[in-house]
Amino acid sequence: MKRQVVNAVLVLGIVLVSISLVGSLGELRLPGNHIGYRPEQPIAFSHRVHGGELAIPCLYCHSGAENSRTAGLPSASMCMNCHKFVTATLGAVREEERLAEEQDRAPETVVSTELQKLYDALGLDETLAVDPTKTPQPIEWMRVHKVPDFVAFDHRPHIAAKVACQNCHGPVERMDRLRQFSSLGMGWCVDCHRETGTKRRAGMPVSAPLDCATCHY
Amino acid sequence: MSRNDDKQYRRSPEESGHDAVEPVSGIVAPVDRRRFMQLAGFAVGSAALAGCSRGVEHGVMPYLIRPEEVTPGKPYWYASVCGGCAAGCGILAKARDGRPIKLEGNADHPVSRGGLCAIGQASVLGLYDSRSLRAPLRGAVASDWETIDGKIGATLDEVRAGGGRVRFLTDSVTGPVEQERIGAFLSRFDDGKHVTYDPISVSAIVDAHRDTHNLDAIPGYRFERAEVIVSVGADFLGGWISPVEHTAAYRSGRRLDGPDWAFSHHVQLESRLSLTGSNADRRIAIPAGSDAPIIGHLAERIAGLAGSSTPWGTLPPCPLPDDTIAGLALRLWSAPRGRTLVLCGLNDPQVQVLVNYVNELLGNYGSTSTETTLDVESVSMQRRGNDAELHTLLEELDSGTIDALFVRGVNPLYDLPGGERLIDALTRVKLVVSFTDHPDETSMHAGFVCPEPHFLASWGDSEPIAGVVSVRQPTIRPIGSTRPLLESLAIWSGQPMSAYEIVRDYWRRNIFERRLNSATFEDFWNRTLHDGFARVRRVVPGGFGATTKLSGVAIMAPERWSAPANDRFALDLYPAPGLLDGRHAHNAWLYELPDPITKTVWDNFASISSLAAEAAGLVTGDVARIAAPDSRDGFVELPVLVQPGQDDATISISLGYGRLGTDRFADVGPKWLEGHPTIDAGETIGVSAAPLLRWVNRTLSFAGRHVQMEKTGLRHQLTTTQKHHTLEIPRRLSMSGETHRAIVQETDLAAWRADPHSGGHAHHDLATLWSEFPRQKHHWGLAIDLSACTGCSACVIACQAENNIPVVGKDEVQRVREMHWMRIDRYYSGDDADIDVVHMPMMCQHCDRAPCETVCPVQATVQSSEGLNQQVYNRCIGTRYCANNCPYKVRRFNWFDYPRDDRLQNLALNPDVTVRSRGVMEKCSLCVQRIQDAKADSKTTGRELQDGDIQPACVQSCPAGAIVFGDMNDEESRLSHLKHDPRHYTVLAELGVKPTVGYLTLVRNREET
Amino acid sequence: MSESSAALRPPLVDGNRRPGEVTQDISHSLEGRPSWLWWVGLGLSSSLLALGIAAVSYTLAKGIGTWGLNRTVGWGFDITNFVFWIGIGHAGTLISAVLFLFRQHWRTAVNRSAEAMTIFAVMCAGLFPLIHMGRPWLAYFVFPYPNFRGPLWINFRSALCWDVFAVATYFLVSLTFWYIGMVPDLATLRDRASSGLKHRLYSWLSLGWNGSARVWLRYETVYLLLAGLATPLVFSVHTIVSMDFATAILPGWHTTIFPPYFVAGAIFSGLAMVLTLMLVARKVMRLENYITARHVGSMCKLIIGTGGIVAMAYSTEFFIAWYSGNPYEQFVFMNRALGPFSWAYWTMVGCNVLTPQLFWFKKIRSNLVLVFILSIFINIGMWFERFVIIVTSLHRDFLPSSWNTYIPTKIEVATLLGSFGLFFTLFLLFCRFLPVISMSEIKGVLHHGRPHDGGGR
Repeated sequence: MKRQVVNAVLVLGIVLVSISLVGSLGELRLPGNHIGYRPEQPIAFSHRVHGGELAIPCLYCHSGAENSRTAGLPSASMCMNCHKFVTATLGAVREEERLAEEQDRAPETVVSTELQKLYDALGLDETLAVDPTKTPQPIEWMRVHKVPDFVAFDHRPHIAAKVACQNCHGPVERMDRLRQFSSLGMGWCVDCHRETGTKRRAGMPVSAPLDCATCHY
Repeated sequence: MSRNDDKQYRRSPEESGHDAVEPVSGIVAPVDRRRFMQLAGFAVGSAALAGCSRGVEHGVMPYLIRPEEVTPGKPYWYASVCGGCAAGCGILAKARDGRPIKLEGNADHPVSRGGLCAIGQASVLGLYDSRSLRAPLRGAVASDWETIDGKIGATLDEVRAGGGRVRFLTDSVTGPVEQERIGAFLSRFDDGKHVTYDPISVSAIVDAHRDTHNLDAIPGYRFERAEVIVSVGADFLGGWISPVEHTAAYRSGRRLDGPDWAFSHHVQLESRLSLTGSNADRRIAIPAGSDAPIIGHLAERIAGLAGSSTPWGTLPPCPLPDDTIAGLALRLWSAPRGRTLVLCGLNDPQVQVLVNYVNELLGNYGSTSTETTLDVESVSMQRRGNDAELHTLLEELDSGTIDALFVRGVNPLYDLPGGERLIDALTRVKLVVSFTDHPDETSMHAGFVCPEPHFLASWGDSEPIAGVVSVRQPTIRPIGSTRPLLESLAIWSGQPMSAYEIVRDYWRRNIFERRLNSATFEDFWNRTLHDGFARVRRVVPGGFGATTKLSGVAIMAPERWSAPANDRFALDLYPAPGLLDGRHAHNAWLYELPDPITKTVWDNFASISSLAAEAAGLVTGDVARIAAPDSRDGFVELPVLVQPGQDDATISISLGYGRLGTDRFADVGPKWLEGHPTIDAGETIGVSAAPLLRWVNRTLSFAGRHVQMEKTGLRHQLTTTQKHHTLEIPRRLSMSGETHRAIVQETDLAAWRADPHSGGHAHHDLATLWSEFPRQKHHWGLAIDLSACTGCSACVIACQAENNIPVVGKDEVQRVREMHWMRIDRYYSGDDADIDVVHMPMMCQHCDRAPCETVCPVQATVQSSEGLNQQVYNRCIGTRYCANNCPYKVRRFNWFDYPRDDRLQNLALNPDVTVRSRGVMEKCSLCVQRIQDAKADSKTTGRELQDGDIQPACVQSCPAGAIVFGDMNDEESRLSHLKHDPRHYTVLAELGVKPTVGYLTLVRNREET
Repeated sequence: MSESSAALRPPLVDGNRRPGEVTQDISHSLEGRPSWLWWVGLGLSSSLLALGIAAVSYTLAKGIGTWGLNRTVGWGFDITNFVFWIGIGHAGTLISAVLFLFRQHWRTAVNRSAEAMTIFAVMCAGLFPLIHMGRPWLAYFVFPYPNFRGPLWINFRSALCWDVFAVATYFLVSLTFWYIGMVPDLATLRDRASSGLKHRLYSWLSLGWNGSARVWLRYETVYLLLAGLATPLVFSVHTIVSMDFATAILPGWHTTIFPPYFVAGAIFSGLAMVLTLMLVARKVMRLENYITARHVGSMCKLIIGTGGIVAMAYSTEFFIAWYSGNPYEQFVFMNRALGPFSWAYWTMVGCNVLTPQLFWFKKIRSNLVLVFILSIFINIGMWFERFVIIVTSLHRDFLPSSWNTYIPTKIEVATLLGSFGLFFTLFLLFCRFLPVISMSEIKGVLHHGRPHDGGGR
């Protein structure tokens, strides 16, 4: 009798525990799989705004993808192509103009806190001219997409084969802060290569080899 | 193909005003690679942590302002000039993310013609040498340029005021700018003189030509035009003047491909088995220094044949039988006029005059246009040394009449005999300035050391061949606060200028006006930077268009040469294959590069013949005391090595070893319980043989000095990478009388002409149980021409540089664990007197039926669809079965984690190749990273891969073009043609492993002999 | 075997013991205080084990470079020890399973400890493939487990993979067989146990054995089945181990004779090891009455037989090398006999071919001290057999340029000693806590009260 009670309690316990675990099962991942990794960035840069709303092509900033192994991050000077002129959100500028009208004075240039970081990095003053007193400091971004060191990934053939950036990087144009979309695991690569094989993509022949030395050397 | 064609014009970082050293994204420190491989192991254990963290986080820093021509992750090629020696080979420096990581020969450059020697390949390591000087020294203490300049300036003013004597001592300066600036600097003093000497001196050749052809340089040797080459002790494929250039020329004079084949007959008379000798069709051992009488008798014979009277009396007795000399003379004389070449390595003007006389009789002198083998227009300016002037300087120093001495590129206290007296002499000099980049024997006694940046980090130029000028452009900012000579001189002469300005300015003033086309200076300059060289009007030292007549110079019989008494030996000092005169004594790659002949690493030694060894009761590894009876301090103690092919009366010792500070290599390689350090603290690697050098009437004499050899009873471990040196197997161990292994196919020219298949053995018709592998598009392979390979080992270092191969240290090599992916097997055959040598490059044979693949339990090594035998490091668990089952034993296992903690040194690593961690098997990948890169490139540009687009490091570096890479599926590729050549065979074909690396039968030109 | 048909048979158990006394004899050594000899033995073996552990930890920390291997000789002590230990195991299974099926009743005195030996030997063996990689934490790569790498499978063509399965199976089956056979005795011990802990432990182990006829019936069936299951393993395991070599292209390895050759060798070496252990245990545990001269005798005869097969194999190899006309093959064998490692080769021949011949003489067979010494010689010889096969074949293969030698380091020697330490430590513990002789079975072969012609039946 006593024993049966004990057993009953045990069984019940096991059931409850497993139920409570089911929720977190989704969290379970193999080591090295950082899907969903979403680090804080030094500047709250929004891919949604730039890639989505403004529809700037990915390759405008990540030009390396076309002709180099690494897509690379845009240099600060690249940002300045636009942010020489755009110093804050449209809303902030309008607001300033409105205020200026009320207090009938000339509107001042508003600089958003995030962009200020960019200007500081380049060592610019308010007028966006080089300030010799300031020392330029490269911006240290946090890397999101990273394959292990023994994997030699090359962007070029994928761009050449018209693989959309979103295939691997996900709906970047809808992310404010960048999140790792794919597992970047070997199986994930191989699946795509296997399925692509040597069939034509976008009307041109491609070859997605399955040789180990495609990535490992 | 020439890489220049598709290489867009690159401006040097300095010129483009951007700092190329700025860190960019994408580079991960190799340390992390290693850590990852280890962490990967614990993956299972750490499963609990899955998804929680990414371990080490790297922030990535893009450029703030990106130089418009730089794309992170994309290599750039800068055309420049090699500074490894004075030969001035044109190079292309591959810079990746701002750091040069690989040097390659410039295919268009007339000196290198695409090849680059081991030294050139290795010199990139020196750029990132964390032990080299990064700031000027005052005495022995670090200082800064302001103080240094102040002090030096002050002293110089004194000297100038006092009308004192200033001497500028350098090695051969191939750069016109530097030559001119040094002159200009000295011109500010009443008595300033620029003295040049080469520690490995050939000044006798220049002296002789000054006499016989009023030519103040070395004529251009046109080996490709020679049908008969007789070299008396000139190691022209090894350390002599311009090996890469000579190898390429020699090779093009010995081609068997195509109908217009040519194959010169090469006779080498030498006292030690040199690299050149090992390639000769006929080799005769002679006592060191006996070149003199031999040349004399040869001259007499040829004069006889030419019917001209011999202008001298009795000759000293010849060490060789008369008919040998007669045979040589006849062979030379019967060859077409101007198509022969007689060389001599002896640094004795009198003998060299005779050599010139012989070549003149044979009609070998001519211009660039004539089809003769000695060119007195496009002369070599690679050696400018003048021993007589050096001798004068030494006398002056002795007499203490020198006030200021600048030492650059040489190390007299190490290079020259009689060191002690020199030290005293130096201390009497008011101002001694050294420009060395490592503290050396001389700089120890210099008041100031003004380190120069590495040649890859400084501006300069060079004119190795009259009429061929190159700009040396930097590929990286100088590391540390070093300063080029040009800038130092400018500052000390009171008009500071950047080296870049100085060079440009000089070129505008002097070189530009010698241009052959009508271009603006900008175009001319840019064109030169792009191509790496420009052809301009020749200015031949000693007067343009030097006469090719022996201008009535007294040709006399060489001084009596005396054979060493039977307890004595004739000494023969030669440059170390890797270190030359010791200028590369801080380069670990070159120490661990096996000597092409002896296969020794990390040491120098005294080569003696087996006969001599028996007589003296010595075996390899015994330390002997070798002393010159005619001097007090003229002795060395070093291990002997019994060397086949060595002359019985000769002891050969390589110079360049025993340099100060080489105990830095104590911590090379792994440390563990039974491991021994490569070198004990306070000791030096090898022993300096300079004390045995001597002056013979004002020229440095390297050969012929009589020495004694005594056993010391000590032993020293000499480490070689090859333990068994022949293809013969001990008769005692052969069951059915078969004692020879048919690994190498050999034949001679006559037989080859009769039957191109000659030398090949029975063709094994092998049945296979397997179906053929489907080869999608390409089927990569190699063909190696054994007749072309000289064994120079450039490929070995090229491979090491390209594939991040670690240095393991002497002890590990002793334990047969060197990591070089390719080795050059060297086999002897024949007897000591008449020995044949084969050099056989051996790397992974990429078998189609690879025995390594079937035995790996985890498929860490598998066949690729393009015929590569792939090795996957991150899959390998290290059972080593693959290596056991490899019949060629070309797989390398990472026995340890080899030291990689020198962060600066790590910058030399190739980011495209994984740094392997311990417990992982590795091997030649046919430079798959290059294959992949080329394929990705062609996919991007849409341009189909052409034959020759892809060149593995070994193929690219080979000065002889002995190795050919290509696609066997492409019937038109050069490789396919070679694969169908009757000479083609694969090693151990009988095993049925179907290697894709093949060899071409070795052919020796022995028709007449 | 001749015993069953002999007219007049010496008893299987001397001293005319009664069942009760048997139980007493065997279990008192577990219940009383251990003899000083036992302590000495344990002290020695466990310190060897400690040494081994130190050596292995150093290897794993530094890398395989701490061994004397090189680019030409990739296997040395490591795989030699592996094959050696696997071989040792075989006699155990042979005695317990095969002889059981052949109704060789003399085996009952020795089978328990022989099986124990098998298990411990296989444990030692299993260690070496694990550590010889230098990074044992990657060992799981050799199992065909589902994965997210594509998926990526193991190379089923590689003998090393077969090995993993063969050895694992062998270990599990032997373990079960051994344990099941022990259950009745464990029950006995349980019933005799005084202290609570001991009692609880033994009763837990004896799976509630109650000695009823039904239980005995099931037990006999299971035991028989397991014996049948274990028997093929005696042949399969070492066959597969031999394929680690036979499937290579290396002359000296690439030989079809290997499977039978290895199996015979394994049993040969195993029997020698059984003898060594028996003779010690007999003295230390005072079991002279159970492990009699007759047991020793029969095992000596088995050794003569298997030794003969081994000798045959040696000569056949040489003949085939000559007959094949393959120069590489010929060279390897000449090199074995006359090359740098000839000393190892002749040690092997001396120990494995000559030593067994001495067992032809009854005088020597019945002199236990002599037998003990000779058995050790055979152990040495069989270790060298593996060493010769592995090292001499590797060190001079096809290209003379890569001919080399192999010199073991201290670490390797320490590792070998450590494996012996592990083996003997486990064995001594076994002697102390489990019945070395199957009480239940031995009672079945007690001599008294049986018809003289019945013998084993």
